Amino acid sequence: MLKTLLATSVAVIVGVGVANAADKKVVISVYGFAQDEFKEILYTPFEKMCGCEVVVETGNSVERLAKLEARKDDPEIDMAVMSAHDALAASRMGITQPIDVNRLTNFNKLYDIAKDPLGDYRGIGYTFYATSIVYRSDKVKIESWADLFQDDLKGRVAFPNVTTNQGPPALYMLGKAIGNDDYGLEAPIEEVAKHKDDIVTFYVRSSQVAQLMQQEEILAAPLGRFSWGAYTKMDLPFAWATPKEGQTGGMNVMILTKGAKNEDLAYQLMDYWLSTEIQTKLAEALVDSPANSEVKVSDEIAANLTYGEETVKSLNLIPPADILDNREGWLEKWNADVGQ
Amino acid sequence: MFQNRAEALALALPAVLFASLVFLLPVGILLSEGFRGETGWTLSAYTSFFDSALNRTVFFRTLRLGALVTSISAVIGYATAYAIVSLPPTARGRMIGLVVLPLMISPVARTYAWIVILGRTGIVNEALVWIGLTDEPVRFLFSETAVTIGLLQLFMPLMIISLISALENMPRDAVSAARVLGANWFQVFWKVILPLTREGLVIGGTLVFTGSLTAYITPAVLGGSKVLMLETLLYQRVTVASDFASASIIAMILMIMSFSANMLLKRLATARRRR
Repeated sequence: MLKTLLATSVAVIVGVGVANAADKKVVISVYGFAQDEFKEILYTPFEKMCGCEVVVETGNSVERLAKLEARKDDPEIDMAVMSAHDALAASRMGITQPIDVNRLTNFNKLYDIAKDPLGDYRGIGYTFYATSIVYRSDKVKIESWADLFQDDLKGRVAFPNVTTNQGPPALYMLGKAIGNDDYGLEAPIEEVAKHKDDIVTFYVRSSQVAQLMQQEEILAAPLGRFSWGAYTKMDLPFAWATPKEGQTGGMNVMILTKGAKNEDLAYQLMDYWLSTEIQTKLAEALVDSPANSEVKVSDEIAANLTYGEETVKSLNLIPPADILDNREGWLEKWNADVGQ
Repeated sequence: MFQNRAEALALALPAVLFASLVFLLPVGILLSEGFRGETGWTLSAYTSFFDSALNRTVFFRTLRLGALVTSISAVIGYATAYAIVSLPPTARGRMIGLVVLPLMISPVARTYAWIVILGRTGIVNEALVWIGLTDEPVRFLFSETAVTIGLLQLFMPLMIISLISALENMPRDAVSAARVLGANWFQVFWKVILPLTREGLVIGGTLVFTGSLTAYITPAVLGGSKVLMLETLLYQRVTVASDFASASIIAMILMIMSFSANMLLKRLATARRRR
């Protein structure tokens, strides 16, 4: 009820804005991150090309999903981007429709892993990120996810909260390191609980880690590759771990809403977004790592991204369905063991 | 004042409509969410909320920290306020300005400053090591201590200001009279100052306690998920689990706690008056 009310009021506000706009338009729902770059690289050139207007709605995934659900029968949004598991949740709510990949000229250029991550073309991957451990190479050595709990890191390590996108993948890798790779994550959560007094904090925002590292409050933390750029600029020796269990990460996908009013333009925008030109520009601006296999970037840029087929293939990703099916259980176990 | 009631009501109507539409109605909807069950109206969401050990821990921690912050604010607040009221007018104005100053800085900035101050390489730890009280830096961040310090700094000015205005309204010679009649300082405070300034204490106490319960940034930044409080738990329920029912229960509990604290403080004040 409340969700509907909130979503409707937002939809009304957005609707009012749209009524005054050009006749041809496409409405998209995206993450709030790097919108200036997206406008310059993607939206404005696309608007010139199609002679239409791109109406952008931003917000965190929970808000955006709630809005999409509230307007399910009369969708305002034509196309949205979200994490693979949120896209699967959207599909289970009946918000999305399968994407006709024949209408995307750039589809075959994508890495195989991005082509159909949810099955039935319910979503198409457009970017990835790796998750591994950032650490102070002058103070500690990290060769395994289990090294997070070495003696030298007692009271000097941060771990992502289970509620973040980095949390479950990091727990999964910790599980692998201690010999249990079950998606239920019970063993790694118990392992974290055992060491919780040695962990400075369970962070919820990656920017928090940068501050704690800068202050030398912590010496290591699991982190998404998208924030690595900040560490290369700090005056301290940081390294990106390549643990023997491998790296983990996540994938973001594009979805098409069921009953989208501007389906043709939505397809055109998706195709443009996946093109080698746009994916290269987004990579060079360090906004998104490319899912298009034809993208070539300099070594320096590549070092700051999750780049190349080998890297992408080697990521130990938790399947979206397993994330959705286990999420409540993880939170409950985490709150019971770690949260108190 | 008005010719008839109708005229007065008509004047109040816009404000009443506005408040009902943008405040009472949404709050009503929000709170009703917690009583909505699968089959109809029920209290089961509240009982099951307290069945969870984590929720109980968070509830009692919020209550405990709120009470602690309010008590410390009251003790330090009385001393500070008394000292300020005793100053000559110009100096008093300046000191009040200094007390109010932190309120003009964003709580986000103030809270982040504590991360630097309380950190391993922060001024507090460096001082402790230099004095020789400890060999290794003490870990303050992400603990109840850090949250308490942050909340104290955030809300103590409200207590001091309330007490200053209460002390200013107290007859100036009441304290001297009590002293002349042989009361010691404790008796002066307990039997003269406290009864005469209880209104200020009730207002300050309510502001500090309610503020501590409902603060979000300070417990989120200085406590993190290791020191969950009701407000940070509420945020977690909404953003992670999309669980608006639990969120509305927490909102209701926070409101009840604030109202109860206010009533309790008022009761304490009037109880002393009756004696």
